[in-house]
Amino acid sequence: MMVESLMEMPPSLLDVLAMRLGAEWGHINAARERAQAKKGELRPALTGFDSEDTSIVVFGSLARDEFTEGSDIDWTFLIDGSADPRHLDLAGKADAIVKKAAAKDRGREGTFGTMAFSHEIIHQIGGQDDTNRNTTRRILLLLESEAIGRPDAYRRVVTNVLKRYILEDRGFVQGSGGYHVPRFLLNDFARYWWTMAVDFAYKQRTRFGEGAAIRNIKLRMSRKMTYVSGLLTCFGCHLKIGDLTGGPDCPEEGAEAECIDCLRGRLKRTPLEILAETLLEFDHLEGTARRLLTAYDGFLGILSDSGKRGHLEKLAEEQYEKDEVFREARRLSHDFRDGLIELFFDERSGLSDLTKNYGVF
Amino acid sequence: MRLIGFSTGALAYSDFRRGLAIIHGREIHAVELSALRQHELRPLVEALDGMDLSQFSYISFHAPSEIRQEDEEAVVELLLWVTGRGWPIIVHPDAVHDFSRWRRLGDLLCIENTDKRKRIGRTVEELSSVFRELPDASFCFDIGHARQVDSTMTEAYFILKAFGGRLRQIHVSEVNTRSKHDPLSYGSILAFREVAHLIPEEIPVILETPVPEEEIDLEMQRAIEALPLCQEAMLAR
Repeated sequence: MMVESLMEMPPSLLDVLAMRLGAEWGHINAARERAQAKKGELRPALTGFDSEDTSIVVFGSLARDEFTEGSDIDWTFLIDGSADPRHLDLAGKADAIVKKAAAKDRGREGTFGTMAFSHEIIHQIGGQDDTNRNTTRRILLLLESEAIGRPDAYRRVVTNVLKRYILEDRGFVQGSGGYHVPRFLLNDFARYWWTMAVDFAYKQRTRFGEGAAIRNIKLRMSRKMTYVSGLLTCFGCHLKIGDLTGGPDCPEEGAEAECIDCLRGRLKRTPLEILAETLLEFDHLEGTARRLLTAYDGFLGILSDSGKRGHLEKLAEEQYEKDEVFREARRLSHDFRDGLIELFFDERSGLSDLTKNYGVF
Repeated sequence: MRLIGFSTGALAYSDFRRGLAIIHGREIHAVELSALRQHELRPLVEALDGMDLSQFSYISFHAPSEIRQEDEEAVVELLLWVTGRGWPIIVHPDAVHDFSRWRRLGDLLCIENTDKRKRIGRTVEELSSVFRELPDASFCFDIGHARQVDSTMTEAYFILKAFGGRLRQIHVSEVNTRSKHDPLSYGSILAFREVAHLIPEEIPVILETPVPEEEIDLEMQRAIEALPLCQEAMLAR
């Protein structure tokens, strides 16, 4: 249970889905290979920076296996143990290594590239002290993160965060109500999604439109994808998707640790893998699967094209409507949105009921 | 009501006679005779015939935690003699050099899960490989070690689920970051409660906490709080 190795990694469900559909998503595959190569490069370079009490955790496109040539690298030095003044030095040195390995500097919010303490992440869920930064770290820790190197601290923090969401959700643990969905967890995923959407407008204003086009497209695609994977994980408990045990009697009384472990295992997968797992469950959604993954592949294709990416990074807001690259990206995002609507409002799978009950009111 | 007792080694370092004297006459009916260092083993074994152990309804025997390879056969021979009394022999798996020697102890060989310094016996996976070598062995669950290895108590849960059928005894203490035994804190009590429902009432509990004589009753009370019985455990969680 302690050592997290590649041997534990489940087979790629995206590959299984592609095979079933006879599809080939070249940009997704290339981004995944690039991510794995980059993680392979970082691992030896960062060896020795982590310990039983500290983990180097990557987030964003690298953790999602959607790494492109122009991607930055979001990471934190996660501390779950005694505070030590030397942690700052370690984080600084590790950051220098990560920066060298990245194509460009990461975002300027200061959420990543430094120390993060488990206490805030675990204890401050909701309330005045749950800052934007803390919410971001916590939710992304669940939805798109990976420990590079020693996973001990990372694993404990993820488990303890999930413990809070599950054990403090009376309705879920006691199995009351017609649906079996971890609502506390789902609500926080939803809150994070809306926070990202609102922050988009905030950044647009405070940065005077700089970088707004690329952030717009990412919000419509990769950020939305992260939220989608959170929703599907929570709905999966009711629908018993994939290896989720699920059902109204889950978790059995006294077996909450199994539920937490099950969710942790599920969330270890990338958002695309979680989407693929759900799509594999329902044969009648093959058309939807094709639509969603083709759109997403196109999106990664744009990000992988340094010319197009650079163009979007500099594009001014007043040029959106006439700009070919932006219009192409927006068309893909509309396909993706429509595919998601098909998926989440599908009656036969039961997703429609769950979406109405948990996603709307 | 759980049967709760002490390890002689916890009450008196390296001095089983003193440890026994401390609990003599108290309402304590379980004891673990401890020979944690190899040089303590023979004197303890030779003293067994002369000991008054009549107050105890449960007795176990802790084998040395480190055994020189060249002495392993002799150690096992001594312990085999102890098993004639029907007492479980608590053994750290990392002390074993040759599993085949220890199989002779049958189900009285009681393998303990280890603290985080060790390279075997800490997790379900590591314990599984030990029990593959010792299929008849029983299990001493050290809840303090399990918490030190994984403070979320997830590993503790899965260890009890996997090896509950072999469970013979519980070791209770707080194990600090230096892997030393400490008296129970409220934090460890709360953590232990999370898996208390997986520990049947009839399994004896041995405290390994080094407490002064005047705190023995208090420490036993803390152990009761830490390991409420099944129904109470569910309510306490």
